[in-house]
Amino acid sequence: MVVWKDAFRVKSREQIWVCASPSIRCWELKLDKLNSDQGMPDVDETNEIKSQSVIAERELVESNSDTILHDAASKDIAFLVVGDPFGATTHSDLLIRARERKIPVRTIHNASIMNAVGACGLQLYNFGQTVSMVFFTDNWKPSSFYDRIKENADIGLHTLILLDIKVKEQSDENLARGRKIYEPPRYMTVAQCAQQMLMTEESRGEAVYRKDSLAIGIARLGSENQTIVVGTLEELASSDLGPPLHSLVLIGRKIHELEITFIRDFAIDPESFDKAVSGGLYDHRS
Amino acid sequence: MVNFTIDEIHDLMKQRANIRNMSVIAHVDHGKSTLSDSLVQHAGIIAAAKAGDARYMDTRKDEQERGITIKSTAISLYAKMKDEDVKDIVQEGDAKDAAPVGNDFLINLIDSPGHVDFSSEVTAALRVTDGALVVVDVIEGASVQTETVLRQALGERIKPVLCINKVDRALLELQMGKEDLYNAFRKVVEDINVIISTYQDKTQKDWQVNPEAGTVCFAAALHGWGFTLRQFAQRYATKFGVKQEKMMERLWGDNFFNPKTKKWTKNSTDADGNQLDRAFNMFVLDPVFKMFDCIMKERHDEAFGMAEKLSLKLASDEKEQKGKALLKTIMRKFLPAADALLEMMVLHLPSPLVAQKYRAETLYEGPHDDEAYVGIRDCAADGPLMLYVSKMVPTSERGRFYAFGRVFSGTVKSGLKVRIQGPNYVPGKKEDLFVKSIQRTVLMMGRATEPIENVPAGNIVGLVGVDQFLLKSGTLTTSETAHNLKVMKFSVSPVVQRAVEVKNGADLPKLVEGLKRLSKSDPCVMVYTSDSGEHVIAGAGELHLEICLKDLEEDHAGVPLRISDPVVQYRETVTKESSMTALSKSPNKHNRLYLTAQPMDDELAKDIESGKVNSKDDFKTRGRLLADEYGWDITEARKIWCFGPDGSGANLLVDTTKAVQYLNEIKDSVVSGFQWASREGPIAEEPMRSCRFNVLDVTLHADAIHRGGGQIIPTARRVLYAALLLGDPTLQEPVYLVDIQVPESAMGGIYGVLTRRNGHVFGEEQRPGTPLFNIKAYLPVKDSFGFVADLRAATSGQAFSQLVFDHWQPLTMGTISDPTTPSGKIVLEMRKRKGLKPEVPLYTDYYDKL
Repeated sequence: MVVWKDAFRVKSREQIWVCASPSIRCWELKLDKLNSDQGMPDVDETNEIKSQSVIAERELVESNSDTILHDAASKDIAFLVVGDPFGATTHSDLLIRARERKIPVRTIHNASIMNAVGACGLQLYNFGQTVSMVFFTDNWKPSSFYDRIKENADIGLHTLILLDIKVKEQSDENLARGRKIYEPPRYMTVAQCAQQMLMTEESRGEAVYRKDSLAIGIARLGSENQTIVVGTLEELASSDLGPPLHSLVLIGRKIHELEITFIRDFAIDPESFDKAVSGGLYDHRS
Repeated sequence: MVNFTIDEIHDLMKQRANIRNMSVIAHVDHGKSTLSDSLVQHAGIIAAAKAGDARYMDTRKDEQERGITIKSTAISLYAKMKDEDVKDIVQEGDAKDAAPVGNDFLINLIDSPGHVDFSSEVTAALRVTDGALVVVDVIEGASVQTETVLRQALGERIKPVLCINKVDRALLELQMGKEDLYNAFRKVVEDINVIISTYQDKTQKDWQVNPEAGTVCFAAALHGWGFTLRQFAQRYATKFGVKQEKMMERLWGDNFFNPKTKKWTKNSTDADGNQLDRAFNMFVLDPVFKMFDCIMKERHDEAFGMAEKLSLKLASDEKEQKGKALLKTIMRKFLPAADALLEMMVLHLPSPLVAQKYRAETLYEGPHDDEAYVGIRDCAADGPLMLYVSKMVPTSERGRFYAFGRVFSGTVKSGLKVRIQGPNYVPGKKEDLFVKSIQRTVLMMGRATEPIENVPAGNIVGLVGVDQFLLKSGTLTTSETAHNLKVMKFSVSPVVQRAVEVKNGADLPKLVEGLKRLSKSDPCVMVYTSDSGEHVIAGAGELHLEICLKDLEEDHAGVPLRISDPVVQYRETVTKESSMTALSKSPNKHNRLYLTAQPMDDELAKDIESGKVNSKDDFKTRGRLLADEYGWDITEARKIWCFGPDGSGANLLVDTTKAVQYLNEIKDSVVSGFQWASREGPIAEEPMRSCRFNVLDVTLHADAIHRGGGQIIPTARRVLYAALLLGDPTLQEPVYLVDIQVPESAMGGIYGVLTRRNGHVFGEEQRPGTPLFNIKAYLPVKDSFGFVADLRAATSGQAFSQLVFDHWQPLTMGTISDPTTPSGKIVLEMRKRKGLKPEVPLYTDYYDKL
């Protein structure tokens, strides 16, 4: 991934890269500034551009996207996102609206968890549908992810599970009362996800996965201290992968020998890993 | 003068068959408190001379001054019955141990306010009692308020007995004849029975009152005398050699006695066509009339002669008295009111043992076979504790309250660790639940309290140390699985509100604290802070608010206040089905909700408000009821997602979708949005009422993370607003039923006042035998401020009126969005007051195009 830590750099007029940051950011770039300088902006300019930038939070992007598009009629607007613009679904609406207003849009692609997950050693070809895991509450435990994992599992594919992040979100009560009071940020960990998966398996009981099903926990992928561990769901449920962000991959039945070799190094407990691999859950020759 | 000790009472508390819990209910000024006084006097708490004007039960200074009861007050009384009375005790049901033990009875009496504005106090009193003594003024007859409280009593399965009061006024002021008086009595009995048969639970035994059955008492509370037919029948039964029951029947209705032939007959004339005297007039009224006649015409010797015949002993100083004072003394000895009342109550009102058998199912929210239910049904002192706290009574210590309630099962004692379950408690969850110890248990005795070691099932109790954990009412239990005892429904709603602010900014914390206390001390008052930071107090009527504000200023907060003019609460509703399907998209545009709004049957809205249709009912039973009585489609009736606002209001959200995937995963979010939207509608942020919303279809993002609360709740609110605005929306305003009593001479003034205030008269009736007229009219609450004073001025103080909230009525003058019409002006003013932009939003503000 081409990412600079805590900085950004304009390679050319159209290409802007920004460091991974949890919220969406939007820069409004002054054309003349960039025109005068054909190459990279110097430090002063960087700071100036930065000072003119607007942090676009969820509310601005989702509910007030018109304000972003409004200025686009007269000047170039750069809309910088984390990951790939099409990785998450939220931005397609912005593109549709831009198209309606006949505003030309160019997209510059970026790395995303959707492709970088290959770092764990599983082949991207063998992934099924991606699902998300939300924080369960006392009375909200959506289990639709379970159905989709089942579909993937039925044809033996891996499932990438994206974990809930709650940044600047209102509690249900505050939402219902219309109060703009935001909760402290929360990031789901691999352990929480594994616990919720096991909880759902217990309540649904359709044997889509088991306590000794293998999964991969990934933390801070792409950073210098990225962590990848492999273990059974039960092992992961009590694991600690450190600070966010986390993701989890549930391994499919048709795991390839090469994949096994690759991920064995990440095993929390190689012995139980071998046992799980040869336990009949996975069809591979070895 | 106390002739019973706390220990004696405590012993009696264990004899469940010997307990009577009863409330005294009536229209204001029909003599409840005075009647209660004669009972208190009998139990020996205040000196006999003062009974009648002491108003023992009115504990507050303003109550004594105004001569009306504001807060209900409880007291325990001790009564000893004669053997022959005890054997006549009528108890329903087949409980083998329902028969009383010994002749000692414990009567827990609650005197409640008669003014409609304080009806919520009556509701709180009814919950903890099993019987009701309905007091009716013989001259004024049964009024709107009598009907309101009696209806509530019957809804709670409280058995009524009747006391027809102020017989002395009929004799002395109106100089009624015997037959006129009989007819006046009969009219009251009939009126009451019409109310009973209308509102009585049809599954119960017939609870109509009958003088010949002994469930009606005739009294002159102010003079301290009264009687039942049973007492007279006892006197005459031996004389005529017939059974007492037979005699009682003969003493009422068309039974006549021919003194010549000494024969009983059903005809009012004898064989020769001579008019015969009705038995009631001859045997019951005649002695009373004679006594009155003798004394008022100062034929004292004759009167003393009669007194002697009746073996009444008069002291020599008593013989010195004249006129009314002498009449009072003799009549009180002849027919003591307390005897008649106690006899009626002990004989005909149910003991907790009997009453809880049939009340359990209406009291308890949980399944009808768990330990809590069984404990309530059997009134079991050794069962799990089930205690309902119905109100909070201020203690002498400022800001602290006694929790006042009834033990339905188990035994409550000091130090007992209990689960305190508030009205929003859901079994198995932790919300609105505290586990705490009870500090002390006390007996409530009018103005005083007496500490008591423990209180077993079937009794009324005051608790110290739970007030911090309950707002106004709730359930206390020791069973971990117990559901709540049903939350009380009030017949009045807080429709009038006023905003308060402190005069000195530094007093604000005191005001906030004071508001908390006020809210706790009154079952009906509503206190909240609006979004613009205003502190708003909502009450049942002008008087109620006035009392609340006085309490707040002088007591709860104790700081000078500035109080706004009264403001009416409106409701937002639809008059037609939405003209097209409303659609809103979630912020991320991946979820779409399709909804329509339609008006609900007004009867259904009323039944939801009265609690007949309840959000907590079993969905199958409720579905059947909706299908049978309101013509709902049975499948839809079973798919009601929720009531709102606050989970119980008169708006419904119905799922009419077909096979939508993941629908259940967004249900909670849509429900939250619905609660929010129905609490503050789009027109002027007033609550919605009588709206039914149908969820037609939903398209959702496949991934749960993209359809969480943050996406769905605001969307649900928007789509509900759009649906309402597409359904020809309007406001409903509260309307009072006004009941005016006025002498004919002053009637002219009334019509003028009512017309000026957009009132609408729909009933005018003369009380038989009196110059009094009863006028009934509807009056919009917004036009009612100052009505009572206005009326007083127009009739030189001769008219007496009661205003009680009756129904909601749509605003018809113009449209809400056009400020040049009266309706639009109301909306505009409301929006301005709340700091909203002046224009009513359009549906397009909430509607997203496909």
